[in-house]
Amino acid sequence: MIRLENITKYYPSRLGKQYVFKDLSFDIPSGHNIGILGSNGAGKSTLFRLLAGSEYANKGRIITDLSLSWPVALATGIHPQMTGRENTRFIGKVNGIADIDEYERRVIKFAELGKKFDLPVKSYSTGMRPRLAFACSIGIDFDVYLIDEVTSVGDAKFRRKAKAALLERSEQANVIMVSHEMDEIRQFCDSAIVLHKGELTFYNDLEQGIAQYQAL
Amino acid sequence: MTTVLKRNKWEIWRDVIFALFVREIRTGFNDKFGLGWAIISPVLFIFMLAFLRGKIGGAETHTLPTFTFMAIGILFIQSFLQTLSGAAGAIRKNKTLFAFRQVQPISAVLAGALFALLIKAFVIIGIIILMYFMGMDLHISNPLLLLACFFLLWLLAVVLGLLFGIAELFVKEIGKVRELLTRPLFFISGVFFSLQDIPREYWHFLDWNPVLHAIELTRFAVSSTYGSEGVSLEYLSGVVLVLSFFSLAIYHIAWKQGISR
Repeated sequence: MIRLENITKYYPSRLGKQYVFKDLSFDIPSGHNIGILGSNGAGKSTLFRLLAGSEYANKGRIITDLSLSWPVALATGIHPQMTGRENTRFIGKVNGIADIDEYERRVIKFAELGKKFDLPVKSYSTGMRPRLAFACSIGIDFDVYLIDEVTSVGDAKFRRKAKAALLERSEQANVIMVSHEMDEIRQFCDSAIVLHKGELTFYNDLEQGIAQYQAL
Repeated sequence: MTTVLKRNKWEIWRDVIFALFVREIRTGFNDKFGLGWAIISPVLFIFMLAFLRGKIGGAETHTLPTFTFMAIGILFIQSFLQTLSGAAGAIRKNKTLFAFRQVQPISAVLAGALFALLIKAFVIIGIIILMYFMGMDLHISNPLLLLACFFLLWLLAVVLGLLFGIAELFVKEIGKVRELLTRPLFFISGVFFSLQDIPREYWHFLDWNPVLHAIELTRFAVSSTYGSEGVSLEYLSGVVLVLSFFSLAIYHIAWKQGISR
């Protein structure tokens, strides 16, 4: 379980503080693959970054004993001038992987970049970068993977593979994901959290959540 | 299975700083000249200026060979300025990496500062080799004082860089102010002159500057006949201590909000 306690989060702007969450308390249950639904600017990515510890709330705290991935967005932490291999090793080192060589092999196998793995990431196509980013995260055994629209840019084969990888780990691990494509959410998730006007609502049944979201 | 190690805070710091350091070496100089340019260019610059000044200004300045006099001045001011901008810039440059909760801004600053230190170590070696081939005297009368000055100056640059780097997260324009503020340092830190060349009644315009203290003390460390009037190690270390405390205190209260904007 991930517990959010009295989270207040705002971004300063020219027009004063733009509140994303005001005194929000919520428990995100474990054991579900959760899709986060919400309109543009509702704060989905902010919620993600708060969960992952990439950002901090202005007030309140997040308590969990699970290990969470970083928010795996299109190219988080991937340096365009370093090669895929160097990026992989960097991420492995930062996350404290015991056996970096083994981790590297896992990423190679999953990302299927071939020779390009030893070329700078800036030479990769739009579809290849997120493949590397996703492979780097799935290569580490987290309890919860935070996936931010990464899978949406991949082709059908990559999605199948991502799905299979997450299923394989579904005994121990779950995924929380953000996407605007309902098909994709349906593919990976079984329940939903609807994010609207700074309030979270959990729906055990995904379809119910989607219906609620589309009625907004 | 790729297991994640349970690390304590220090081990995480060590791993992250090491990873950032390697990344810095890898990406800092990505053209064909590579890392070598970062060492060759300042060595040549120092050599040219020191050599020319020696030709124009006579062989000795206050009992110190003019070449040594100038080399110390330029080397120290360059180390200070580059470490400062490296440390301050490290936070902005690595901003996307703070998405990993293990990576904190201070790790980026330390990695950037260590990188600058490494480069400068090689520059010093380069200068010493040049001096050796020019047949110059390499005697240092107080090596410990020299090391202390260099280290204190480096530390001063790091803590100031940390302070500026954090401030720049909140107000981006501070970066420009920093560049403006540091520019005159090249001319008021005794790089081209000694404090002894200035009439005593004007010293108070200059002797607040810890960089001047570091440079003059280093010259004194190389040759004790140079004298250390008007500068003191106590003042230099005092400034560094106070600024370190201040800078770390500001960092401690501000970094979480700084990366959350």
